[in-house]
Amino acid sequence: MKKRIIVIIVTVITLLTIAGYLITERLNAYQDIEEVIEQEFRTLRQYVEDVYAIEFLDDDRALVFYSWDFPAFYNFGVMELEKTWQGWQFVEAISNRMERKRAWLKGVYAEIGDHVILRGPTWASVDKIEIITADGREYIPELGRAAEWQMWYLILEDEPFEEATFILYDSDGEVLHEEVLEFDLNWPE
Amino acid sequence: MKLSLKYKVLTIVILSIFISAFLYYFGTKARQEQATGEALKDYSYIAREYALDAIYKSTEFPVEVELYPSAHTEAILERWKAISDRYPELDYPESAIEARDWIEVHKAFEDTDLLNGVIRKMYKDATVTSEGLGVSYITLLDYIFYQKYEASNIEDVVIDLGIESPREEE
Repeated sequence: MKKRIIVIIVTVITLLTIAGYLITERLNAYQDIEEVIEQEFRTLRQYVEDVYAIEFLDDDRALVFYSWDFPAFYNFGVMELEKTWQGWQFVEAISNRMERKRAWLKGVYAEIGDHVILRGPTWASVDKIEIITADGREYIPELGRAAEWQMWYLILEDEPFEEATFILYDSDGEVLHEEVLEFDLNWPE
Repeated sequence: MKLSLKYKVLTIVILSIFISAFLYYFGTKARQEQATGEALKDYSYIAREYALDAIYKSTEFPVEVELYPSAHTEAILERWKAISDRYPELDYPESAIEARDWIEVHKAFEDTDLLNGVIRKMYKDATVTSEGLGVSYITLLDYIFYQKYEASNIEDVVIDLGIESPREEE
């Protein structure tokens, strides 16, 4: 009888350990999105990062706009996360090198998941950007701020464009700068 | 009640199977995680150093990352090639560059003695003195990768050697 009890106890302990481990692993996945983002940066080994914006496309899809690499933060990333039964999960990330130096703004075209995204850095003094395409379409991109720089981004639902005029305004509505940016719609091929 | 031998053996066998499966699963997982971590570390380092664009499609085992040269990568390669043309002991691995095998490409910078030799020769050939400046292979790497002129007079050296065109007065 005693032996039987020991055998049962040992079996139960073993099974509980395994089940406990698996449950903890699953529970760890149910985290706050900001913790998940931090964790993903560690996974990607993209250290010393600045997050400019988190854009929720819907309840279970988010895009994170960031730059990484101290001290210049020249690598501009966008990461897609998806909420599944396991919590927020990494889908894809794209990092583009854009050396700001003295430029007023830079910009690149990228496709992430089902989305077309235009994005790039600009100065913190810029309060609003207006984009006018050659065929007369107008867009106001979002601006995400981090430290002394900003990232502008446009999640495009219409036809992508190869070039457009960017008009940069300050907080008083004065035009700071006007520039034509070109986009390589075939990137990364 | 006494346990039969059959029952004991069966229990031990079942337990052993469970434990082996558990150990095997987590052992494999740990090895995969280590390999994944190392691969991502390499990609992050190479993307940063060579100013590459990167697409991370999978950060789990097996890792899937695509690297593409940016305009800044081309500038790095141009500086490197210009020096290598004049000092062929500094290898410029054309085929690895064309194949975009950046990890292989980076092996050209493994031998610091060779790099020290190149930078010393550059200073010797130029009519510019390096006296009082701590010039080493780091100066060479800083120039090629970041076009960093500070903490040395490498800018005068590369202009003097005709590797870079003279700067225009602003």
